[in-house]
Amino acid sequence: MTPLDCFYIAAGAWGAAALAGLLTGRSGGGLRACCALSALGGAAAAAGGGWSLLYGNTPVVSLGTATVTGGPLQLQATSLAGVFAALLGFVAVAIACYAPRYHEPSPGTAVYLAAYNVALIGCLAVLAAGGMVTFLVAWETMSLACYLLILRHPRDRGVARGAFWFLALSEAGFLLVVAAFVILSSKTGYTTLSGIAAHAGTAGGGWRAAAFLLALCGFGFKAGLVPLHVWLPEAHPVAPADGSAFLSGVVVKLGVYGIALFAFRLAPPSGTWPGLVAMGGGAVTAAIGILYAMAERDIKRFLAYSTIENAGIIVTAFGAAMIFHASGQQALWALLLIAGIYHVANHGCYKTLLFLEAGVTEHAAGTRDMDRLGGLVHRLPRSAVIAFVGTLGIAALPPLNGFVSEWLIFQGLFQGFRTGSHLTGILIVLAAGILGLTGGLAIYAFVRGFGIPYLGMPRTRSAAVASEKGQPVLGPALLAVACVALSVGAPVVLFALSRTARTVTGVTLGPLLLPGNLTVIPAHTDFAAFSPTYLTVFLVCALAVPLLIYLAGRPRAGSTTVPVWDGGIVAFRPRMQYSAMTFSAPTRVTFDALYRPSVSVSRLSHDDPAGRSGPVHYEARVTPVFQRYLYRPLVHALEWLADLVRPVQSGDVNLYLLYVFAVILLAYLLGAV
Amino acid sequence: MTLWFVRGLRRGVVTTRYPARPEESARFLPGPPAFRPGALTRETAGRLAGACPSGALRLAESEGQADGGALLFDVGRCTACGRCAAEAPQAVTSSGAFELAATSRSVLIKEIPLRGRNDDTGRTA
Amino acid sequence: MTPEELRETIARQFGRSLHIRTLDTGSCAVCEQEIRLLAAPHYDLHRLGFFFTPAPRHADLLLVTGPMIRAFEVAARKTYDAMPGPKIVVAVGACALGGVYPDDPFTYGTVDAVLPVDVWIPGCPPSPLALLHGLGVAVGRLTEKVRDLPFTAEDDDERIRGAR
Repeated sequence: MTPLDCFYIAAGAWGAAALAGLLTGRSGGGLRACCALSALGGAAAAAGGGWSLLYGNTPVVSLGTATVTGGPLQLQATSLAGVFAALLGFVAVAIACYAPRYHEPSPGTAVYLAAYNVALIGCLAVLAAGGMVTFLVAWETMSLACYLLILRHPRDRGVARGAFWFLALSEAGFLLVVAAFVILSSKTGYTTLSGIAAHAGTAGGGWRAAAFLLALCGFGFKAGLVPLHVWLPEAHPVAPADGSAFLSGVVVKLGVYGIALFAFRLAPPSGTWPGLVAMGGGAVTAAIGILYAMAERDIKRFLAYSTIENAGIIVTAFGAAMIFHASGQQALWALLLIAGIYHVANHGCYKTLLFLEAGVTEHAAGTRDMDRLGGLVHRLPRSAVIAFVGTLGIAALPPLNGFVSEWLIFQGLFQGFRTGSHLTGILIVLAAGILGLTGGLAIYAFVRGFGIPYLGMPRTRSAAVASEKGQPVLGPALLAVACVALSVGAPVVLFALSRTARTVTGVTLGPLLLPGNLTVIPAHTDFAAFSPTYLTVFLVCALAVPLLIYLAGRPRAGSTTVPVWDGGIVAFRPRMQYSAMTFSAPTRVTFDALYRPSVSVSRLSHDDPAGRSGPVHYEARVTPVFQRYLYRPLVHALEWLADLVRPVQSGDVNLYLLYVFAVILLAYLLGAV
Repeated sequence: MTLWFVRGLRRGVVTTRYPARPEESARFLPGPPAFRPGALTRETAGRLAGACPSGALRLAESEGQADGGALLFDVGRCTACGRCAAEAPQAVTSSGAFELAATSRSVLIKEIPLRGRNDDTGRTA
Repeated sequence: MTPEELRETIARQFGRSLHIRTLDTGSCAVCEQEIRLLAAPHYDLHRLGFFFTPAPRHADLLLVTGPMIRAFEVAARKTYDAMPGPKIVVAVGACALGGVYPDDPFTYGTVDAVLPVDVWIPGCPPSPLALLHGLGVAVGRLTEKVRDLPFTAEDDDERIRGAR
């Protein structure tokens, strides 16, 4: 029995779930049955993924000889894909617990569930692909199924646009990925991934670097690297909450997986500059992602930009790993691989959780706009606690999991001086600095992202009457438990990941990473150390000390309890609070070169200069820089080219007859020759 | 800036020594009036009570006693506007008091004895 | 604690260091001008150990002016409640003592209607010297003199009578 068998079970369960969903999804019982099957598949995939972390790479299995797919289906369960598969399975379980209470049974839901389970199979096939063609077919299956996911409510505003952006950029990325694979397979002569990996050296450094860069751009479309990220903020808000969670939690990670695949297995470059490009791109992505997140009022757009930020962090880690490998620092190579994969697992957990909670909020309060929410911690207490755990995780605050993985990434980057070259060292530290900025802004952004909707007073009537009845809790709660487990159980996770690193890189990092007593050391004992377990215990005790002091030293004489001094305000009004945009105004002012904000103010009449003549309409916009300055010119260029070619198909029948005549003439001439 | 410093040094200390020493300039502060009971006929007291805008002066209810009743003066209500002094200058003068703080409100309501009824006619201030 | 004991305690604790929080319940702000002058060089509140503080949590004495308009009642009560005991309330000016405004739908007319007042300082406005005396009386450093003032003058005596 190998992990691959677990994947077969998962694929079978998901196929059954897709059928069940399609046929019976319009009824409540069918919906629950489909979700149960989906959860079963998820559990199998998670088990297989976790097992393959420790098992190592299975041999390549060829299924069938059909030439429809260009050859047999080649599958292999690899260690590198293990974490991604485990994440996929766990997210599938969580979403399966969430979906029955979130979706209404209807024909649209039936199609949606079928597409969702097909997407799950596609993702699993991407992760378990052993051959180039299998990988590409699975990739396209996943993309198309996700396109159908986003189109759940096709007539709503923005849905068609978001889905179109997703598909267009997905296909653009696919082209580049195909090119990368073609280069590698033609230069090494193999089409199985393990074959390419084993013979990567014969391809030559230049071709490998070219393939890696093509893959970085191609998979970067899916992973959300700037400037290839523009589909994320368009597609995530319009998809249903569990669809957005799936996109952010798993599909974006598949892009990251593709980059890791090329960076560590298929085309490890020999020079440092591809790694520098990846690291630089990742750092810039992270910073720009979180900066745009600060300017968003829609919770899901905000979370989409945060996904871009985290994808940037992971790619930075992988890029730095490649630099260390090219500089001979094998231990740091393995460490940053582990740190990046750990961050993949962490982000998958808490981002999925936050998207699911955004869905709960949307259904309970009727809006995704932060400025129309407020005070939800009183109306939705359980959801608020779960969302708080997710927020702590994504803001990388100790003792939760985000802190552990970001600490490892930072410690790896800080050791950039160990590469021989000064320039490389400086660039690595520069990337660490950008990541530091990102980390600080992420805390700011998530204080806003949790504080504005959940804390304070409700800003509108619909937020004041939000109710938790009938809202899904189990799915997000599972993810919250996973967040805590990933942090407290960090030693266990790191042990498993170090085995993965050994399989992928050949470096045995175990003794250098976990020297026993629950402490984590970033690959070199003379640098830093940290114990997540002890930190958790310490923080719990530190919070208990003030409580003990209070209990011991309570005044014995009669004391009066009066309300907190609030400046003597007679009545609080919701509009006295921060709004989402005013809270982030300092960032928008500081970074206005990036945002290029524009403000328009208009009022009904100018008769009364004090504005008493009526409401004033104030609108502040952030310029969509990438759409306007990169994509729109590209689209215009394409349209211009198309305009050049248009006269060929003018609709004039006489011209078509001339074409027919010319071709026949040409055929005669060629036949005569 | 230097000149200010020098001027200050030449002028010396301007801070009052109050409350350790009495303050001479307090004489000139506006304050509540003092009344001359010898000039306060009932009729004058009635005019004063009518002139006071803040209700500090009120005629006490007379029970037909020989002393002619009293004028109730609420020091707390007095705004030192001077209308009572303008109304009956022979009966009202400045009290020169400025240390008026009281620990209970009733202490501030003073009874000013009026001239006796059988003295209503005749004598002037 | 009897009032005398309280005063003794207050005198002991506050007589040399007192933090004052001013509260304007709708006055014309002339009393505030006089209060503000207390910190000026001529009267110099700080040499007596008295300080102004904006936070009621840090205040010992509440210096209230104005006729206690009804719209301010909640804020006044909140300010008073936020002060930790022992605390003293001093009402300043003819408005606060009930002189100028009646009890009508917009004002209470007197501070006493909402807050328990310990020391009353008459005047319109009371001069800074009168305020210093009032604060001294509140903390027990100075003696209350108005109890013994008769506010009468002899018929033919143009000399000023009263406190000196």
